[in-house]
Amino acid sequence: MSDNRLTQTEPSLNAPVADLVNIKINGLDVQVPKNENLIESARRVGVDVPYFCYHPRLSKGDAANCRMCLVEVGMPGPDGTVRMMPKPQAACTMPAAEGMVVLTETPKIVKDRKGVLEFLLINHPLDCPICDRGGECPLQNNTLFYGPPTSRYIEEKRHFPKAYPIAENVVFDRERCIHCARCTRFTEDISGDAQLGFLKRGADMEVNTFADTQYQSKFSGNVIELCPVGALLSKSYRFKARPWDLHSQKSICTRCSNGCNIKIDFRQDKLLRVNARLNEDVNEEWTCDRGKFGHDYVSSDDRLTTPLLKSNGVFSPISWTQAYSLLAEKLKAAGANSAGIGGAHLTNEDNFQFQKFFRKTLGSSNLDSRTGRYQQSETALLADRFGYHGMGNSIAQLQDMKSIFVIGSALADELPIIFLRVRKAYRFRGASVVSAISVKDTASPNVGDFASVEMIYRHGAEIPLLNGILNVLFTENLLPANTSVDLKGLQQSVTEWTPAKAAAETGVAAELITEAARALAKGPMALIAGKEIREHPHFETIAAALGNLMLATGNSDNLNIPELDVNSQGAKDMGMLPNYGPGYTPLNSPGKNTQQILESAARGELQTIWIAGDQLVEHYHDPALVQNALYKCPFVVVSELTMTETASLADLVLPAASFAEKEGSFTNCERRIQRIDKAFEISRDIKADWLIFSELAAMIDGSLMPFSASDIFKEISETVTPYAGLTLKSLGESGTRWNLSSISKSNKIFTAIYTPPVRS
Amino acid sequence: MGILNLLFANREVPNIEDIDVYEKHGGYAGLRKAVGMERQAVIDDVKLSGLRGRGGAGFPTWIKWNGLPKNYDIPHYVICNADEGEPGTYKDRELMLKLAHTLVEGMIVAGYATSSTAGYVYIRGEYVEPAWQVRKAIDQAYKKGYLGKNILGIEGFNYDLYIHLGAGSYECGEESALMSSLMGERGNPRLKFPHAPLPTVSGVWQSPTLINNVETYCAAAWMLANGGEAYAKLGTERSKGTKIISVSGHVHKPANYEIEMGTPLLELLETAGGIKGGKLKAVIPGGSSVQIMTAEQCTKINLDYESCAANGTLLGSGGFMAFNDRTDVVLLMKRTAEFYMHESCGKCTPCREGTRWIYKIMDRITSGNGQKDDIELLLDVCSQIDGRSYCGLGDAAAWPIVGAIKAFREEFEYWIEYKRSPVGKDAVPPSPEVVNPLLTLTPA
Repeated sequence: MSDNRLTQTEPSLNAPVADLVNIKINGLDVQVPKNENLIESARRVGVDVPYFCYHPRLSKGDAANCRMCLVEVGMPGPDGTVRMMPKPQAACTMPAAEGMVVLTETPKIVKDRKGVLEFLLINHPLDCPICDRGGECPLQNNTLFYGPPTSRYIEEKRHFPKAYPIAENVVFDRERCIHCARCTRFTEDISGDAQLGFLKRGADMEVNTFADTQYQSKFSGNVIELCPVGALLSKSYRFKARPWDLHSQKSICTRCSNGCNIKIDFRQDKLLRVNARLNEDVNEEWTCDRGKFGHDYVSSDDRLTTPLLKSNGVFSPISWTQAYSLLAEKLKAAGANSAGIGGAHLTNEDNFQFQKFFRKTLGSSNLDSRTGRYQQSETALLADRFGYHGMGNSIAQLQDMKSIFVIGSALADELPIIFLRVRKAYRFRGASVVSAISVKDTASPNVGDFASVEMIYRHGAEIPLLNGILNVLFTENLLPANTSVDLKGLQQSVTEWTPAKAAAETGVAAELITEAARALAKGPMALIAGKEIREHPHFETIAAALGNLMLATGNSDNLNIPELDVNSQGAKDMGMLPNYGPGYTPLNSPGKNTQQILESAARGELQTIWIAGDQLVEHYHDPALVQNALYKCPFVVVSELTMTETASLADLVLPAASFAEKEGSFTNCERRIQRIDKAFEISRDIKADWLIFSELAAMIDGSLMPFSASDIFKEISETVTPYAGLTLKSLGESGTRWNLSSISKSNKIFTAIYTPPVRS
Repeated sequence: MGILNLLFANREVPNIEDIDVYEKHGGYAGLRKAVGMERQAVIDDVKLSGLRGRGGAGFPTWIKWNGLPKNYDIPHYVICNADEGEPGTYKDRELMLKLAHTLVEGMIVAGYATSSTAGYVYIRGEYVEPAWQVRKAIDQAYKKGYLGKNILGIEGFNYDLYIHLGAGSYECGEESALMSSLMGERGNPRLKFPHAPLPTVSGVWQSPTLINNVETYCAAAWMLANGGEAYAKLGTERSKGTKIISVSGHVHKPANYEIEMGTPLLELLETAGGIKGGKLKAVIPGGSSVQIMTAEQCTKINLDYESCAANGTLLGSGGFMAFNDRTDVVLLMKRTAEFYMHESCGKCTPCREGTRWIYKIMDRITSGNGQKDDIELLLDVCSQIDGRSYCGLGDAAAWPIVGAIKAFREEFEYWIEYKRSPVGKDAVPPSPEVVNPLLTLTPA
């Protein structure tokens, strides 16, 4: 009962469907869900009720403060006659009830709206001509339709410093603020860092952080879009354009594997800002700061615009014709003695052409898109056992879990949008969250902030921790009775792992392990394993242990080991793996994986390495090996956007198109295939990676590869089983998750053996 | 009619703050009697008494007591609203200073009747001495076994009392804002019925919560000892019992007077020693939020809920302020407007922006810059706040201005036209000291 969550104020959106009630809005009869707020009810009959502070995703506890949505409401008495309430009521918090009568356009309401707008504007600077929000501002719009023609206020307005740098990427114009509490509610309800709040009171009230500290959050950018006026502004977009000068293209964020739906706004072929695009299944309407502010590289002045050839250690520009001749010559000579690395940042089409070019034209299967530490294929682990890759759940399913186990993940940083779903499950659906990580995440926000149990374990002690949890589940009889899997062997293997023993091995208090197990016994339970697990030297064993936990608790569909880069999932689907072709068709003669490619190149055994869109030197766990390999390899090709460190070690650098300049598709961590469209073109000499492979293949052996993204996708749908029947067009605006029925599952218990580390 | 000391019966008894003295004078008899009754019988007795909330709104007390769910799977709470902030009101201060045990007794009775697990006395932060007295009373009650586990030997009657001091906000006397503040949140009002469940269903920490004024709990303690019927015999038909009126302003004997409901206003004025420094000009009968009454209107008013309402004002919290004919009503209203501007929590648009605008207009008028349309503007701004704000504070800020314009319009017109006080050079400047000594307690 001491839980301080305001579950009673769950936003109307996605709330469980209630009974229907009959109400009358402006004389129109309509059936609406019981307790639905009247703004949404009115929308059903095409009646607009203006508002500022209301937001369907924010808790209603602090709504109804702008008073813009006042309507007249009548309730039927016991005898059935409707009595109008004496005061107008805020529609945004008024729950619909049987027989309710709502009037939104009476003279009284029209006057009230004028009054509210007059109040809001008396201290508003009315500097719309130089305000970024001008043209797309709810305050402007509502004033146009509902406001008074003039103001009767002749006193001095409130004054505050302009453009106060409230966050790294956000500036705050306090004079324009209308105190709607959207931003403060966002930090409390959605991101969970609760950093923004109100200081002072009455007319002096201001949005601020506690003690004027900087607002530091991974989600600060959202408040810019939430703000109904031009008070919270993007530092990078400020004064850059008028909204009506912008062109907008629907796209997908490339900064992590969540695949947030975004709109890229550009002007004169320059990307100016990124806004969230609604997709209930993925990001709802949120972005993280990395996604919102992290795409300036697209319009960077450092973009490569022509192929560069290195001779005597110096790059000089060459034409594409020259580049293709050189490539054809070198690759023909290398043949199967060549290798390709990368693909996690390329589209599915790029990847498909990449592997096709290497396998068909060059006859080499030395291909790998995985550049993390762990490069064994987990297909055996996940697909064979549970019938899926990466994530068992969709992102949206996470919000319906009763408990969520986040292990080895700085979730808000690695998978920000999944973090928001976990937070939503906690905040609005009452889920308990258990977090286990070896190094405490101190960034803001993080899962530890609201986890009911937070365990900081000794790195390497993942299996003892899981064994300890399983031990508690067995001894306290918390496991479901009817499971199709035989658990006797598993039970025996964890008998010795009492919480006390697990505590000694992991450094986590025994009580916490017990508490965690009890929390996780509440089903359905989902598990999300992060980078720490994925990059673990013993990934395979740990993944087996995680699988055991999920099988034992009857949650085998809810194990999630998400990919981390924008298209790591898609690259694998496309066959950018040494041992699998497109659609995970096993190969008879597997090629080398990334580590093996680099090792053999370092030994001077490879003639050509092609790196596409991967900053290998910068990010590989063994940069010395990469440098050595690229140095020893006679011909290294890198396709990149800018001159990265990896590119500078190449012999030939090709200018590649960014996601904003090409068509195609990405597959996110929940296996949702989503389309991107070309927004603009910086230079005709910048080519999409798939086009480079297509043109080169035609040049080398005259083979006819497709010359459009949609044609490539057609081929993908014919080759890659899970993509069967799809076209770029049919993906639609919110994408399609690929189905899993094609993969059979074994539900096998693997023994997870723990070898205690040797401690000095 | 007139003075009738029920709650104040023992006010002058030396050391009545001490529990032994209090018990000797019949203290805790009401509680002893209550615990011998069925819980529902206690509530029925409150119903029989016809007691209405003494905090200002006059809501029938028994409905609240009866409104708490009778299943006890989650804890129920009792709150005493002792955040007495209404300008002109200081009755709770005296009750807590001298008769803290009556309050404690009333809250235990309420706790028993509603099967609550704990009670909170939310006292305004400036009331340091009253808070100490309540602290002392609670401590003594624990020692005597009136609080704690198995109270008075009744198995399972466990009840604790806590004190919570406010941090200096008028708004926190609004019951939902009080609950926010009690829970450690910003003192902002919360959604009210029908937008959210009633506090009796979901109040503090989403538990059923009973919230009443100090005087209400004290009256409950009296009525349990003497019977609801005895209480119902007093007062008028719909306003039962007695009411403590805090008389201040231009009277010879400003003090708290407990009167029978329905006492004529002028009778109370006489009891308080009559007007000093001139003739009666106006009275604010129920605290600064209610409409001011002219001397002529005063002759018609009896101090009960119905008579006040019939004359366009409210009995409110009983903050009775009398003004002599040297009073400048416009300056008085400017000071009132300043108070509400200062105390608006800022949550909703009409109150946040409107109270400041009203003050700016009042300030302009009284500094000689009044415009011809200012009276209409004031009325319009007030109408845009009244009934439109999130909680009652906005209404309370608008009513006195509208009331003053209604009753003393010519004084506003005089200020605007001649740019000086209609009362003349020796007008009483309604500085806080003169209007009400309690106002000095509000931080500037």
